[in-house]
This record gives sequence, C-alpha cells and structure tokens, in this order.
Amino acid sequence: MSEFIPTPSPEPSEDPFLLTGQAALVVGGGDPLGRAAAVALAEAGADVAVASLRAGPQELVRVNSVANEVWSLGRANAAITLDASNENSVDAAIARTSSELGGLHILVNAADLPVAAPLDETSADDWHAVLTANLLAPALTSRAAARVMKMSGFGRIINVVSILAARGVANTSPYAAAHAGVLAMTRALSQEWSRSGITVNALQVGIYEGQRGFGDNPESVQQLVRMLPAKALVRPDDVGSAVVALAADSGFITGETIAVDGAATARV
Amino acid sequence: MPTPERFRLDGQVILLTGAGRGLGRAMALAYSDAGARVVGASRTASQLEETAELVAERGGEAISVPTDVTDPEAVESMVAQTVDRFGHVDVLVNNAGGGAAGDGSPLEQLTDEQWRWGIDMNLTSQMLCARAVLPHMAERGSGVIINVASGFGLRGGRDNWMYVSAKAGVVNFTRSLAVSYGPAGVRTNCIAPGIFPHTPEALERWRGGRYIPVGRAGVAWEMGPLAVFLSSDAAAGINGETIAQDGGGLAMIGPTGWAPRVRLTEPT
Repeated sequence: MSEFIPTPSPEPSEDPFLLTGQAALVVGGGDPLGRAAAVALAEAGADVAVASLRAGPQELVRVNSVANEVWSLGRANAAITLDASNENSVDAAIARTSSELGGLHILVNAADLPVAAPLDETSADDWHAVLTANLLAPALTSRAAARVMKMSGFGRIINVVSILAARGVANTSPYAAAHAGVLAMTRALSQEWSRSGITVNALQVGIYEGQRGFGDNPESVQQLVRMLPAKALVRPDDVGSAVVALAADSGFITGETIAVDGAATARV
Repeated sequence: MPTPERFRLDGQVILLTGAGRGLGRAMALAYSDAGARVVGASRTASQLEETAELVAERGGEAISVPTDVTDPEAVESMVAQTVDRFGHVDVLVNNAGGGAAGDGSPLEQLTDEQWRWGIDMNLTSQMLCARAVLPHMAERGSGVIINVASGFGLRGGRDNWMYVSAKAGVVNFTRSLAVSYGPAGVRTNCIAPGIFPHTPEALERWRGGRYIPVGRAGVAWEMGPLAVFLSSDAAAGINGETIAQDGGGLAMIGPTGWAPRVRLTEPT
C-alpha cells in the first residue's frame, strides 16, 4: 500500500459563513433557486457568475438581472449562457468565469428543466432533453470546474435537485431519474475528488415557491400545501442560505445530500 | 435579512448537553461566537466549568448545570434552571452520549443491564431532554432541537449493538419530532458525525484518517459551524433531516480509494 500522507486539517476562520474573495459560478441562475443562490453567495461576500442553459431573449434578461443584483451588492459578476449539449460551450463558460472572476472556488448546479408526462407520452427526444439539462449539464460543468479547482486544491460543488429524486410522483419519470442520477453522481464524485480538496454535495429541495411546472399552478399548489408538514412551499431564500452553508464548510461534509423540504421527506 | 445575518444567534439561549468536552465543548464555543449564551449540562461539573471559562475568555457567557441526562427529574430541573436564569430556551442540543459497555463483544455475551444502559444513555436521554423542553418551546411558538447521532446511526457495525440501535433511534426520533412539532414552530434536525478523535492516541487508532475518503479525521471545531447553521434562521427550510459530517465515509463502499476502470465497448 502506498505511503499515506494525511490531508492537512483546516484552521477555523473568524467568521465561518463569510466567502470573501471566493469566486462562484451558479448555473441556472435565471431560475428562482439559482437566483437565490447567486444573491446569497454575493451577500456572503463571493463574486458570482450567473449562467443559463437557455439563450432566449427573456432568459438573457433574467440572467442579466441577477448579475445586476450581484453587482449592486458590490461584487464582481458575469452573465453567461452555455449549451449543455456542447462540451466546448461548457468549458468556455468555466474558462470565462475563472478569467473574469480570477478563479473558481464554488460551483452551484441549479439548472432545472421541468417536464411531467406519463411515460407512454414521452419520446426518446424528450428523455434526451431532460437528461441533458438536468444530468449531463452538472456532469460537464463539474468536470470543467474540477480541472480549475484541482489547481488551487480547493472546491465546493453543490448540486441542487428536486425532492422527486427521492420520492415517486406519477408523470415525473424522466425528471426524477435525472435528478436521482445527480445524487448518485454526487456520491461518486465526492470519492473521486476526495483527496483534491473538492467537496461535492447536494441539496434536495421540496416543491418551492414559483417552481416552473410544479409550484406555479395555484390550484395544484393549494392541494399540495395541505399535504405538507410545513403547510407551505419551500422558500428559495432558504435554499440560498443552505448553499452558503455548504460553500463555507470546512471540507468534512462531502458526498452528502441535505433535504431542504420542511420535513416533507421525514414523514411516511 | 442579508444572508450572513441569518446565521447569527445573538441573544439566544442554547441548552447543550455533553458540553464538558470534545464536540460539545467545540459547539459551545461556536455558539458563543455566533452571539448566543450557552447553558452547558453534563455529569462532570469540573469539565463544564472549564468550558464556561473558555467561553468567557472569548467574551461570551456560559453557565454550568451539572446534570445526569438519564435521570428524568434531573432533566426537568436542568430545563427549569435554564429558564430561571435566562427566561427561555431557544435551542436544545442533545449531544450527550457515548460508547456503551458491552459494545464490541458478541451478542450472546451482552447482559440485559448493558443493553438498557446503552439505550438509556444514547436514546432515552435525548427523549427526556426533548420532552422537558418542548412544552416551553411550543408555548413560545419557536425553538430548535439538534440531536447528535453518528454514522453508526445509519450503518451497522460489527459487534456494535446498543450504540447503533440507539443512534438509529435518534435519527428516526428526529423525524417524528419534526413532523409533530414543526407546526408549533419547532424545527428538529440531526447531525451524524463521523470520526472525530479527541486525543492523539485516538487519532492513531484511526490510522490518522487513512481510511476516511478525504484523508483525514474530523477536528472538533468543524462541527460548530454546522450546529450554528442548523440552529439559525439560515436553516429555516430544513426540518427532520440528518446531516452526515464524515469526510465522505457514508457515501462510499470500501476500500477507500477504490477506483475501477472499465472501458466502454460496443457489443459484438
């Protein structure tokens, strides 16, 4: 067996939740959870690049608006679009982030393409689209980001998935499978990079306020809320603060999934 | 509220069992640094006093309430003394517990008395403290309970009986507390620490962290920020959850560092 050199233990910091001087990329920054993560990271002192997997005009407005919020908090920022089905596009987005922000320490994968239909009505193309946005995208961004993070020996990768990764709901098979795949990938990469100073964790979020396709239909939301222990949908800001907690962690939490769901998965 | 302020606990009262050493002492210091006052409880008064002195040295306030947390009357008195002194309790941390005599031996050698003591120390004690403090929290409509379990609460261990059973009980007790008292404004979560050796000899027994994926053991102070986060408004969306802080141990199957390679081949 090869000689074992222990990883040096970290030193406590003055304020354990500040991220001053760190550079973050939030993919899916135009969506509510990505926006909340970007703003929370900026409030905690990080510089933040906001990226979207979509390049339509409305999406560009959303991403630029979040980058402006980061700017108004006095942090360096960038607005980026990338194509998750194109490796070069992903690599370019990571390269642009680290050159504009002077490094890359935190990657948040919060892009979310919602789809819900009976399996019988889904095509192979539907599956490819869902798996590309929800599973391939975090794989490729993590790959490109880890190349940068390994050079500095420090990285925090945070994958944001839906509660549907852990509980079955009719009509969500492609979406749920993609998100469950992200959790399995999170565990595998936590081991692959465990000696590189990179932690890989996930937040498994309950149905949240304004969630496209699941949390934005008043009638179904009302019905859902009655069934939830918290009697309320998850607030995106509470996901943002959990992202900051994981980004600021000393490095002993890795391969872990944390439910932010108001006890929804705690109950039978 | 800006994100960093959501992590603050200014003026809050933390009732922390097992505060005399190890992880408990580290959490006491972290709570104090976050602005909270700490009531330390454990059996050994001298160790509690040392913790209180360390808190005072950092400009904080801590008092000692020596308590046997397996004694229902003593636990009631502990809560009453805390309320007498500070007027209320914001956070209960059920941290007291530990290895039980009889664990480490074949089951047929286990005595009934050893079983009961191990379960009393590691599970019943947490129920007693929660039961004593919950009416107070529910009446105020707010409160946080943090139960400390272990990686052994989520996995079995060879010749480990009471500790694994009690800690698994803690994980599920946490979920029922969350579901039952969440509507009353009380959040309950659980921390599952991995290997945190208290002494150089203990670190040596764990081979310096060789078999932990991140290549090192945990350091006691690292648990402080996690406890503070879960106690704070920043964790408002998290209820009934167990968070492992274990250097990636639970995410893997051994041996550490196993990294197979299999080439993708087309079927012939």
